[in-house]
Amino acid sequence: MKKRFLGLSVAFGAAVLASSMVQGQSNTITIGGYDGATDTALVSELIAKFVKPKLAADGVDVKYVPTADFGKAIQTQLSSGTAPDLFYLEDFAAKSLISSGKIMPLNGMVNLKDFLPSLNSVFSSGGKQYGIAKDFNTLVMYYNRDLFDQAKVSYPDADDTWNDFTTKITNVQKALGKGFAGTCFPGSYDRFGAFAASTGWKPILSGKTTILDANFRRAFTWYTNLVKSGVAVKPSQINAGWGGDCMKSGKVATAFEGGWALGFLRDQAPNLKYGTTLLPRDPTSGKRGNLIYTVAWAVNNGTKNKTAAIKVLNALTSVEAQQFVLRGGLALPSRISLQDDPYLSGTGVENVAFRNVFKGASDGNAVPFAPDRFGGDWFRGIDEALNSVMDGQKTVDQAVRDAQRSINTVMAR
Amino acid sequence: MSGKARENLTAFLFLLPFLIGIIVFFAFAFVRTAYYSTTNYNLFEKNDFVGLSNFTGVFNDPLFVQAMINTFSFSVFTTLIQTVGALLLAIIMNQKLKGIGFFRTAYYFPSIASSAVTVMIFIWLFRPTGLISYIAVSVSNYMPLILTTLVITAVAQAAQVAFERSRGLPATPFDPALLVVSLIVGVVGAVGLNAANVVQIGNAQPEPLLWLSRLDKFLGFIPYPILMTIIMNSFTTIPTLMLTFLAGLQGIPQSVYEAASIDGANPLQQILYVTVPILRPVTFYVISVGIIGTFQMFDQAALLGGTAPLEGTITLAFYVYNSVFRGGAESLVGYASAAALILAGITLILLQLQRRFFVSDEGVSK
Repeated sequence: MKKRFLGLSVAFGAAVLASSMVQGQSNTITIGGYDGATDTALVSELIAKFVKPKLAADGVDVKYVPTADFGKAIQTQLSSGTAPDLFYLEDFAAKSLISSGKIMPLNGMVNLKDFLPSLNSVFSSGGKQYGIAKDFNTLVMYYNRDLFDQAKVSYPDADDTWNDFTTKITNVQKALGKGFAGTCFPGSYDRFGAFAASTGWKPILSGKTTILDANFRRAFTWYTNLVKSGVAVKPSQINAGWGGDCMKSGKVATAFEGGWALGFLRDQAPNLKYGTTLLPRDPTSGKRGNLIYTVAWAVNNGTKNKTAAIKVLNALTSVEAQQFVLRGGLALPSRISLQDDPYLSGTGVENVAFRNVFKGASDGNAVPFAPDRFGGDWFRGIDEALNSVMDGQKTVDQAVRDAQRSINTVMAR
Repeated sequence: MSGKARENLTAFLFLLPFLIGIIVFFAFAFVRTAYYSTTNYNLFEKNDFVGLSNFTGVFNDPLFVQAMINTFSFSVFTTLIQTVGALLLAIIMNQKLKGIGFFRTAYYFPSIASSAVTVMIFIWLFRPTGLISYIAVSVSNYMPLILTTLVITAVAQAAQVAFERSRGLPATPFDPALLVVSLIVGVVGAVGLNAANVVQIGNAQPEPLLWLSRLDKFLGFIPYPILMTIIMNSFTTIPTLMLTFLAGLQGIPQSVYEAASIDGANPLQQILYVTVPILRPVTFYVISVGIIGTFQMFDQAALLGGTAPLEGTITLAFYVYNSVFRGGAESLVGYASAAALILAGITLILLQLQRRFFVSDEGVSK
C-alpha cells in the first residue's frame, strides 16, 4: 500500500511539473517557417539581432521552429490548433488560409501605409490585412558574360524584344556549337507566367481564367518553340534542377530567375562572370511582364500572447531588420522607405541585379504569382501543357485546349 | 475471483494494447472518415452535411476515374508479376547448390532499399538522356548485328543437330555443348559480315527518349509512369515475397517429389501439380498482401509526382492525399474521405472474390 501511494505521489508531482512547464511556454513566441539552411540561419539571426533586444524587457523568449514541407504542415497545424504564434504566409496559399479564420487581422496594430500596396493586396481580404510581406522578388535575366564574349554577340539589354533575344541566343549557340544552349526554359508557369503577362494576358479576370486567348497563345508558342528548336533547353535536359544550376553549368547563355539565385551563384559558381538585365519585351504589346513572388508574416488567431506576437512581427519587419536583409543581398524590402536605400544604387553585379528585381515589379505588366485561392492545382494544367508541347507530344492547339479544361475543373471545385 | 475469470482477465489485459491501437487507429479513424465523407469539411470552419454528393462528385471527376484505372492496372499487373516471379525465384533459390546462400542474399538486396531510394534510382535511369535511353538507342543501332548473330547461330545449331542425329547420336535442339559452338560461329559470322560491310551498325545518336513524361498509354490504358512503377515495384517486392515462398517450399518433404518423379512427372509437372497446390496457403497470403499493398500504393506515385503528368501517376491513395493538400487551395476533406471509403470497399470486395474464385487459404484442393 505504501508503495502504491509513493507511486501515485510521484506521478502527481510529475503532472504538476509538466503543467507548470506548459504554462511557462506562453512566454515564448514561436515562429514557423521553412526548414532550409538559409531560412533557419537568417531568421535565427534576425531574432537574435532585432527581435530579442526589443522583447527582453517583457521577459518574452522567441524561437524559430522550422518545419519540413511547411505549406502542408501549417495547414494541419492551424486546423488542429497547434500552429506557431507567428508564421510564414505564402502568397499562393494566402487567400485560402485567410478564409479559414485562423489568421489574425492586423489592421490597427501595424502601420500598413509603410508597406508597398501591391504586396499588401496579396494578403488582404474583405478590407482587412492578414499578413505583412517580409520581402518580395521578381524575375530578371541572368546572362553569362563569357559565353556572349566568346560568341562575339552583344549582351542582352533592357531594350530587347523577344525577337532580339531569340536572335542573340541563337547566335551564341551557333558560335559555340553543340553542348551549349541559349537559355533554360522550364515547363512551368512559375517562369513562363512572366512572358504570358507581358502580352497583357491576365491570369484571372473577374473570377475566370482564359488561356484560349491570342495573347496567351503568342507567348506560349514563342516559349515552347524555343525549346523545340533546341535553342532553349528544359533544365532537366542538362541535368539541372532550375535556372541557377543552368547558369552554374557554364553551358547556358541565359536564365530567368529571381534575386534568390544571387546567393546560390555566389556560393556555387564564384568564378562565373555574369550580368543581369530586365526581361525582354513582347514585340506586339511592346511591354515586358513579370511575376511578383512574396511571402508574409502572419499571426495565429489563437496565440496566447497577442501583444508579444505583434511586437515580434513589427520587429521582424522593422526598417533595421529589412535593411539588414537587403544589404546582405538576400531579398528586397517591402517597406516603401527602403526602396531608395543606397544599396540599390550601387554598381556591383548584385546591386544591379537587385535594382532590376525591384524594377521588374513596376515596369510593364507585372502580376502577382499567386492565382487567387486556387493554389498549386491551378498551375498544373499550364505546366503539363508546356511540357507536352516542348516534348513534341501535343500541338499548341491541343495542349492549350486540354489545359483550359483542367483549369476549369480546378476552378469549379 | 475464480481461476477462469482471472485467466480471461489476464488474456484481455494482454490483448488490450493491441485493441487500443485498433480502436484509435482503425475504428475511430474509420467512423470519422465515414462521417466526413458526408460533409463539406475543409479542415476549418466548414462542416455541413451534404449527403452523398461527395461520392457523385468524385465519380464525375476525370482525375478520380483515371486514378481508378491506374490503380486497377497497377494492382493486377504487379500482383501477377510479383507472385509468379517470387515463386519462380524461390524454386530456383531452393536448389541445393554450392554457394546458394550468396545468391539468396544477393537477390534479396533490392528489398532492403527504401522505396524512396528506388524511385530516385529509377527516375535517374529513365531520364530522357539517362542510361535506359542510351541502352535503347545502342540496342537499336546494333540490332542488325544481333539479328544476324541469332540467325547464323540458329542455322549452325540446326545443322549440327541434324549431323549428330544422322550419326545416330541423341541430340536435343538446345543441346548446350552444340549451342556454345553455334553461338561462336554466329558471333564470328556476324562480325565477319560486318567487316565485309554486308551488315551495318546503325549510327543513330543517343537522343533524349521520353519514358516518364510520355502521354500516350501502354496497351492503350496503362500510362507509362504507371508501367515504370509496375516494373519498379515488382523489382523490389519479388525478393520479399520470394522469402515467404522459400519458407513454404522448405516445408515440402522431398519424398513427395520423389514419388512424383517415380510416377513419371517431369520438373515442370512437378512444379505445376505438386509445388503449386501444396503452396496454396502461402500463395493466398502472397496474393492478399499483393492486392492490399498495390491498392494502397502511394509513395512511388508521390515521389514520381514532379517528373510526370499527374494523370500518369495518380492512384486512389494519392488522390485521397491530393484532395486534402492542394498546393495552398482549400482542402476537400469530404472528397478525400469518399475516395478513401471507395478504396477500402474495392479492396475488401477483391479479397473476397479472390478467396471465393481463385486461391483460398485452404491447403490442397478438395
